[in-house]
Amino acid sequence: MDAYFASVEQRDHPEYQGKPVIVGGLPDKRGVVAACSYEARQFGIHSAMSSSRAYSLCPSAIFIRPRIDIYREVSTEIQSIFKRYTDLVEPLSLDEAYLDVTECTEFQGSATLIARSIKKTIKEETELTASAGVSYNKFLAKIASDMDKPDGCYLITPEQGEKFVELLEVRKFHGVGKATEAKMKSLGINTGADLKQWSENALVKNFGKAGRHYFQISRGIDHRPVRNDRIRKSIGCETTFQEDISDVEVMLNKLDYLSEKVFLKLNEKGFSAKTVTLKVKYDNFDLITRCVTSENSIKGADEMMGILGELLQKTEAGARKVRLLGVSVSKLDPMHQVSTGQSSGDEQLKLL
Amino acid sequence: MKFNIDRNDILPPVQTVCTVIERRQTLPILANILIVAEGNKITFTGTDMEVEVVTSIKHFSENPGEVTVPARKFLDICRALPDGSSIELSFNKDQVLIKSGKSRFTLATLPATEFPSTEALGSSNKISISQEDFKALLEDTMFSMAQQDVRYYLNGLLLEMEKNSLRAVATDGHRLALKEIKVQTDVAETQQIIIPRKGVIELVRLLDGGDEKIDIEISENHIRVSKGEVQFTSKLIDGKFPDYQRVIPKGGDHPIKTNREALKQGLVRASILSNEKYKGIRLILQKDLLKAFAHNPEQEEAEEEIEIKYAGEEIEIGFNVTYLLDALSAIKTEQVILNIEDPNSSCLILPDNEIECKYVVMPMRL
Repeated sequence: MDAYFASVEQRDHPEYQGKPVIVGGLPDKRGVVAACSYEARQFGIHSAMSSSRAYSLCPSAIFIRPRIDIYREVSTEIQSIFKRYTDLVEPLSLDEAYLDVTECTEFQGSATLIARSIKKTIKEETELTASAGVSYNKFLAKIASDMDKPDGCYLITPEQGEKFVELLEVRKFHGVGKATEAKMKSLGINTGADLKQWSENALVKNFGKAGRHYFQISRGIDHRPVRNDRIRKSIGCETTFQEDISDVEVMLNKLDYLSEKVFLKLNEKGFSAKTVTLKVKYDNFDLITRCVTSENSIKGADEMMGILGELLQKTEAGARKVRLLGVSVSKLDPMHQVSTGQSSGDEQLKLL
Repeated sequence: MKFNIDRNDILPPVQTVCTVIERRQTLPILANILIVAEGNKITFTGTDMEVEVVTSIKHFSENPGEVTVPARKFLDICRALPDGSSIELSFNKDQVLIKSGKSRFTLATLPATEFPSTEALGSSNKISISQEDFKALLEDTMFSMAQQDVRYYLNGLLLEMEKNSLRAVATDGHRLALKEIKVQTDVAETQQIIIPRKGVIELVRLLDGGDEKIDIEISENHIRVSKGEVQFTSKLIDGKFPDYQRVIPKGGDHPIKTNREALKQGLVRASILSNEKYKGIRLILQKDLLKAFAHNPEQEEAEEEIEIKYAGEEIEIGFNVTYLLDALSAIKTEQVILNIEDPNSSCLILPDNEIECKYVVMPMRL
């Protein structure tokens, strides 16, 4: 995503559009810039710079405290867009992810067209712009994504890959930070071409295990797979009604069905959960969620249903027509730990 | 509706009522504030259906009337106009026009008649109390409130009124905070109410440190606090608070007495290397010495020794260090008293004076 936090703020506060916006600490405090709009970047402001420094560079900038919950929500929306194209999504942060579209059949499998389509969908659904990098491995895709910001889409083909890497400065390489960069420079390695001159053994001697990685990527080779098996955070199900409904009984029936389904999935995956979230989309597409976290794992679909009934009362479902209902559980723990009563060692005793 | 007003006069009331507006609303009109101009008074109202804040200023309006405007945008406009500038606000058809110097803004509106109003309070008990005392009562207990717990009655603060006292209690099921102040009330028998979490947070934000009196009215379903022109109303949580007296331990035979700040600083340092998720800390009590140990999954370790007065036997006990620090921060006395009986029973933390203030923390099994 381009200038992610700042773009979200500009979207939610149209009055900030076209203005230097800085999300992060306030300038009178000891905070830093978490993100800044492109307008702010023209003043030389960049993320991780202290807010007071940013203020002295551009006193008229609008400083905003981060609303991380909102960014997380938007992030979830974006992730769900990715999931429409492929299951192989590896989030890197709230606003970045690797997608493996090898198996994707849409657009005759053209990655560039898929990237364009994703960007378009993101723009339509979130009013935010994203930049895509398209290539044949993670290392090059990431570099490509930085080539054409904002609102860019950059392709590095297999034919171009090696040549492209040769011209690249080493600090752009995956895994090369300030310290490694300095060390490489002292060895006369400034670009990918320089790096390529070195043998794998010499690199390993100087940089340890990472040397092998540098040897590979200097040739445009990166075999790291896109992994979607990062720790699972939540399990859920949702359903959109064929017609918007206002009958609470019908909703409760549907929730009953959904909670059974979610609980089944939860058991299949071998997790127990502590948080139950109800999602309601009203007929005008307003989307709200209500959740509760209980101290102990939810024991069954019945208990979940009880909670969902209470949560539904906290919404305006019924008074307003409902288009979609969703149920999800989070705060997951692997089940076997719960059943044997051995949590990871630290157990808070109860007062009540 | 039309009035002219100094930017510096309209900004404070608008800021006050905007604090309760939620970022994401369930109803479009909840994003708006209600402005009512009548004769010599302008009244502002903000609500999220649970908590409502109303305030007014004395000001003459050319034309009386009422309207609702988008809270955030209206506040940002008022705030962004230069200090001391004059604002002309007029409401025509379905738009509000704001003029000031060379600036002009038109804001969309929603009908004032659709703005949700709080129902009348009904019969209520009244208390008059200094805002400083009331604020301290809330602040010294609110940190123990639960957050989004299924036991919904814990997601708030219990206020218990007796003839001569007002008591606040909060608990999340792991720790509990209680504070009591002496105050004349007009309740005949003990009355208990639970103020929802958001209500407590907003209320504390409204109160200042001064000893100016505020009026509290408590009805069956609402609490209303009036402070000068500002009137705060919150719905109450309809539920039964657990019998908190049952879980407050009696002081033991061997209380620990120590310098509060020294203990707090020692625990703060040790907590740096405690597990970020569980925040566990291990304490070893020996004669006149407390040792605190923390370690994290990276196998980094911290160890602190703190001088105490203690004559009991050696005890090893674990705690969530955050709970201890919260209590030690709420207590204001130089010395603090801790009662620890055994590794499976709750710890009672008390200030070293007569103020009725109790903090109970359940241990962790480490």
